[in-house]
Amino acid sequence: MSGTRRLTGLAGSILIIAPLAFASPAWPQDSTQTAAPEANTASSPQNTTQKESSDIAALVKDDNQWPMAAKDYANTRFSHLDEINKDNVSQLQMAWSFSLGATRGQEAAPLAVNGTVYVVAPYAGPHPNQVFALDIANGDLKWSYAPKPDPAAQGVACCDVVTRGLAYDKGKIFLNTLDGFSVAIDANTGKELWHTKLGDINKGETITMAPVVVKGKVLVGNAGGEMGVRGWLAAVDEETGKIVWRAYSTGPDDEVLIGKDYKGPYDWLNGKDLGVKTWPPDKWKIGGGTVWGWISYDPDLNLIYYGTSNPGAWNHEQRPGDNLFGSTIFARNPDTGMAKWAYQPDPHDLWDYDEINEAVVVDLTIDNQLRKVLIHPGRDGFMYVIDRTTGKVISADAYDYVNSIKSVDLNTGRPVLNDALTPSLGKTVRNVCPAAPGAKDWQPSAWSPKTKLLYVPHQHLCMNFKTSNVGYIEGTPYVGADVDMYAGPGGYRGEFMAWDPVQRKKVWSIKEKFPVWSGALVTAGDVAFYGTMDRWFKAVDANSGEELWKFRAGSGFIGQPVTFSGSDGTQYVAIISGVGGWSGAVAAAEIDPRVRNGALGFTGAMQDLPASTVGGATLNVFALPKNQKKAASAQ
Amino acid sequence: MRPEKPMNVTVGAGLLLLVTLFSAQAFGQDKANADTNNPQPPPPTDSSNTGTTISPAQLLNVPVSGLTPGAVEARPKLNPPPADEKAAQRGMDDFASFNCVGCHMGNGGGGMGPALSNRAFIYGSSPENIFLSIYQGRPNGMPAWGTVLPEDTIWDLVAYIKNLSDAPVSQWGTTTSSTSPAIEQVPSEIKAVPNPWQYTQKFADGQKPQE
Repeated sequence: MSGTRRLTGLAGSILIIAPLAFASPAWPQDSTQTAAPEANTASSPQNTTQKESSDIAALVKDDNQWPMAAKDYANTRFSHLDEINKDNVSQLQMAWSFSLGATRGQEAAPLAVNGTVYVVAPYAGPHPNQVFALDIANGDLKWSYAPKPDPAAQGVACCDVVTRGLAYDKGKIFLNTLDGFSVAIDANTGKELWHTKLGDINKGETITMAPVVVKGKVLVGNAGGEMGVRGWLAAVDEETGKIVWRAYSTGPDDEVLIGKDYKGPYDWLNGKDLGVKTWPPDKWKIGGGTVWGWISYDPDLNLIYYGTSNPGAWNHEQRPGDNLFGSTIFARNPDTGMAKWAYQPDPHDLWDYDEINEAVVVDLTIDNQLRKVLIHPGRDGFMYVIDRTTGKVISADAYDYVNSIKSVDLNTGRPVLNDALTPSLGKTVRNVCPAAPGAKDWQPSAWSPKTKLLYVPHQHLCMNFKTSNVGYIEGTPYVGADVDMYAGPGGYRGEFMAWDPVQRKKVWSIKEKFPVWSGALVTAGDVAFYGTMDRWFKAVDANSGEELWKFRAGSGFIGQPVTFSGSDGTQYVAIISGVGGWSGAVAAAEIDPRVRNGALGFTGAMQDLPASTVGGATLNVFALPKNQKKAASAQ
Repeated sequence: MRPEKPMNVTVGAGLLLLVTLFSAQAFGQDKANADTNNPQPPPPTDSSNTGTTISPAQLLNVPVSGLTPGAVEARPKLNPPPADEKAAQRGMDDFASFNCVGCHMGNGGGGMGPALSNRAFIYGSSPENIFLSIYQGRPNGMPAWGTVLPEDTIWDLVAYIKNLSDAPVSQWGTTTSSTSPAIEQVPSEIKAVPNPWQYTQKFADGQKPQE
């Protein structure tokens, strides 16, 4: 490439320009924003009169509720409700619907608490990130709350302007805005209680994850692994909005919150300041490792589990070393944030394999021993079963076609790479599988304790990949790769599968035309639910995968199906339709399907999606017809 | 123009850029005042354009809106510097160096920022409009590059973006169906050129591109 030499030279000069150019952007922001680090606190709501529990620790055990995006602390997305079951789900019909008025990617999970459903819109429309509270039984709108995020945030959100949902505890709804604020809202009235600025869009930070409340702390991380952001997870006091602790993913131990309680599962994960020493000088400051996925929690061990994003830049030759703690799973004490262990599935990530995917907390009998494990469907295409007390890998098996990694060495915990594919500057590497979004991205799986199977929505893509040198300019992308994705072997692009983590094999699978970018839900009625990007919401038999019911919606699905009961005792199933996200942005945003390299290369794999759907924003709520419901309860 | 915090200048190499920065501020303040006093577009101060630049005063009179109240022709006649044959190539290099490519993506297909490959420009498609969108930034996420980039560099970017947007046109609107679009670009990882619409192939429907 003829421009390479000049480009490299300029990249060097950027490092000089950047401090000058960006030292001064600070026009005083809106006064409410500048006041925010200390949080604006209003009076707390009074919930003492409520009959139902409003404590998240109790709500996660009540199947009438869906009180957090992942349903419970274990992240099972399983409900014991069985009024809707495999024998009658074919009768399911829409009970009511609601438009969120913001037609970009709808990745958020609806929450349901004590008869009210809470939903949040992505950044779009006149009221971006608006929150709505609706009566479950009849769909009446009780209140809405519109924050005022900075529109410029759209320019630093890598992969559509999504949000993955809200959190609830003790009469409060917790919202993250795309531009980096955390907000508490009175769940009964919609009044704002406090708001705290956690991230800075001028550093490229956004927030897209659903927060999780553990022991009175709202856990929130940043996004921006494509912007040279330094990743962190923060704990915010749910009453005051004050930051209690913040754990960085890179840097010295005292900022990563690694102390005497830490013990890495393998030798290479032990040592002082690994978050500095596994990087070229100072590169850890712009090294990614953002926290935008799922947090699970084991109350008995008092540990939270979450993964971090890819290290930046995507051009790996600019960051020799393991790049700790990018693409890493952390176990931390939620009270202090101190790390217990950390395991990095993808040292020195080559392909944007974030490991933010869920770590489902399950106890499994393996080789006649009851083991406390995490099941982590890795972005790198391997299904990791990990001892959650130590971080050691028990098994790791490919669950989709993978040629970038040959295997995982269980003695060292390190992947055995296919060296023939390693990118070098300016050369096009062809047919790398899985592609940059991995065999599975953020879309969360579900675990049934009845079937002992994990229901995994995922994609099936390969890519061409060509690296270039990129200079760091604060607040702009820090990628350095031309990417072009396409369907994997067989020509299909998505799959919904049931995986047995003890037998370490796929039990059944359903191939889909497009990536399955929605989450999964499974119930005691032995029904699993998921949505497709070409607008089908499907119910399948949890044991066999047989299709039992499907519904054609207004726009494609990339959201999270949930189930709950209303005050009328009826079981509902709900999901927001509205295509978008990294995969679907080509159908909802101003992206050209004829230029394959758009959307960080995802356009190549999704260029025909606009022929099936455009953006949407509808909460769809389903139930059985009244006569079917009676028949079900009489059984 | 809102006040800026004092800058901490430590690097001599940044002096040229510093000058650009201050001139940009002056441009904003002075013209804003002048326009308040004189709503009529002032005559061009330099009618014999040298071919290297257009004055800030002229650029301020480039409308972003297509609505002209009172049916008064608002668009001044400007002659942007003629792009030399290397301008688009330099613009392509700068498009990568200043991370434009990170948002608008390879060949301008669109991502964090909108596509530049389809003749649709939210804030105007004239060279002056595109210059100003880069210079001033735009509220929905486009950074203001006028404080960082020399004007020559921005004009080179404009020349490259003109090439990027030079998509083939078969009809006034856009049809999307199972048989349309019919073509796609040869992707940038296979062919990196400053005029990508000169190289097209059969639309691949999400499958592997032709080699």
